Amino acid sequence: MPKTGIFIAAVVAALAVAGAATAKPSDTVIQGAGSTFVAPLVAQWVSPLGSAYGYSLQYSGIGSGGGVSAVTARTVDFGASDAPLTADQFSACKGCVQIPWALSATAVLYNLPGVKNLLHMDGPTLAKIFMGQITSWNDPAIKKLNKGVALPDTKIAIAHRSDNSGTTYNFTDYLSAVSPAWKSQLGKGVAVNWPVGTGGRGSSGVAAIVSQTPGAIGYADVAYSLANHLKFFAMKNRAGKFATPGLKGILGAASSDVKPDPKTNELSIVNPPTKFKLAYPISTYTYVIVPTSSPKAAELRKFLFWAVTKGQSYGPKLLFQPIPRPVLVVAEKTITKIKG
Amino acid sequence: MSAADFSTDVSAAPLGGRRIRLGDLLLQLVAGLAALASVVLVGLIVWKVIAGAWPSIDTFGLSFVWHIAWNPVLGHELYGAGSFLFGTAITSLLALALAAPLAIGIALYLTELSPRFLRGPVTALVETLAAIPSVVMGLWGILVLGPLLHDHVEPALHSALGFIPLFGEPSPSGSSIFTAVIVLAIMILPIVASITRELFLGVPRELREGALAMGTTRWEMIQGVVFPYARGGIAAALILGLGRAIGEAIAVTQVIGGGVFIHWSLFSTGDTLASKIAASYQGATTKIQVASLIYLGLILLVFSLLMNVAAQWIVRRVARRQGVGTNRGGLG
Repeated sequence: MPKTGIFIAAVVAALAVAGAATAKPSDTVIQGAGSTFVAPLVAQWVSPLGSAYGYSLQYSGIGSGGGVSAVTARTVDFGASDAPLTADQFSACKGCVQIPWALSATAVLYNLPGVKNLLHMDGPTLAKIFMGQITSWNDPAIKKLNKGVALPDTKIAIAHRSDNSGTTYNFTDYLSAVSPAWKSQLGKGVAVNWPVGTGGRGSSGVAAIVSQTPGAIGYADVAYSLANHLKFFAMKNRAGKFATPGLKGILGAASSDVKPDPKTNELSIVNPPTKFKLAYPISTYTYVIVPTSSPKAAELRKFLFWAVTKGQSYGPKLLFQPIPRPVLVVAEKTITKIKG
Repeated sequence: MSAADFSTDVSAAPLGGRRIRLGDLLLQLVAGLAALASVVLVGLIVWKVIAGAWPSIDTFGLSFVWHIAWNPVLGHELYGAGSFLFGTAITSLLALALAAPLAIGIALYLTELSPRFLRGPVTALVETLAAIPSVVMGLWGILVLGPLLHDHVEPALHSALGFIPLFGEPSPSGSSIFTAVIVLAIMILPIVASITRELFLGVPRELREGALAMGTTRWEMIQGVVFPYARGGIAAALILGLGRAIGEAIAVTQVIGGGVFIHWSLFSTGDTLASKIAASYQGATTKIQVASLIYLGLILLVFSLLMNVAAQWIVRRVARRQGVGTNRGGLG
């Protein structure tokens, strides 16, 4: 993969030079790329970070997959991904650490003109829809969850991501947790072998398909869904409650796992146990990926400390829940591993 | 100033003469290096692609080419190019079948039939089509063309011609192989049209006038003189267009919808070699997946190479058949 990044490297380097040329001479430029999921939050950080440390933060939301490739090729100072790195990706990245730095949820979108927002949905039914076993909106399984709602007999049109996506990871991680059939036949990943449906490029591609197609169902991060006025489901959690992808629901899910994996810092908070009554079951951490040896180590450490502490306060209005204290402690410990 | 003045000027200066010989040498050197560089470049690309694809070639062997599978999930990993090869073949050939008559029609109109004042503006407009970036074509495809096809064209085709398996149930959304075919046809249209127009312009005037003088109608003249004269060139132009359609990645990725299967219906979704690489390369999760994507690239490379060889073969064959009389312009 490093070889493949050469072209991108050239372009990014050219952009970096251009960026550095326009910045004040004392400015440090911190370059990042990756997750579109976290992009709105990172965008909020640019100006306070500039006034706090004089750093100029430049982030491109090219998708989690692209972010992993870019930091592996060292064309950026950090990458961002919603899906934890695989073993192959860790070894290709040569001495990278992965730090949970933001917390939000994936919304399951639908387009049914004349039908209210926040219809009810549960995991097993959702899995059957995405496996092509439930094909109509007035299927008994969907009706049973939405008593009193007049559901049309529209055919269900499925939309999913065609690129490698952290949102797809979160979504299929959830479907694998709630449906043994999904787990054995399809599994989880940044891309899976979708049996049915139409692929769109990026959240915007999925949103385009969903908003143009009556009867469509898809998924995207909740901030994106809200900004684009798309309808989404209230999801049934293990306690039997229907939770929305709001801050309370995300916090509820986050409380279920506050111990990052000691080796990878991975956290999985999909489909949390019954005692987390408020949990929205398709919530996820998203990660920043940084090389432990970097020419900008001191600046990166400062930036990341700021991001996991003060930076979190910019989250709630974008439906990012500040990361819980135990996770913060681990994140801070990992940040100290970044050396020059 | 007369020509004689000029020539004495040059020959009178011995230094100037030597400079010209030095210039020739330099030209030879630079041009030779440029030619060598292109050979070396192609060689290096092929070598790199094979090296990159090697883990996949080693694991899946030659059957990768026709095997229909693409499962990137850890623990389930299995890769094959079959459905993408099918998608590439069907989208590019159909796009060419749609674009070819249109392009030849445009060229004929512009060279033989249109009023003179229309030629300039229409030619410019057709060539502007070629300048639209493919990502913009893709956006237009997903936002405008797709919904139009899905709402009106696909249902109409299905109800009229539904007995042919090609015209199955309309696609669930606007993204389908059919949408990709139309987008590709629009993208290759200007290339084929402008080359064909040049070829038609190259038909010697005396041949046209001779035919008309013998009392042929305009259509008979086109059939008997213009087409035979330009035949080899048109074939080459079509293959150039086909090459473009085969290699187009971004616009296709945006409108084709994805999927690892072969359906006969044009209204189902699918993927091509190029669109699969464009969609999946960034952030591919495992080494074998990266290698398999490069393997797709290798297949694409071989495919394009075969296309080029075929084009040259056709051009040569047609040129030979045309004989001496009609081949004076040397365009065939």
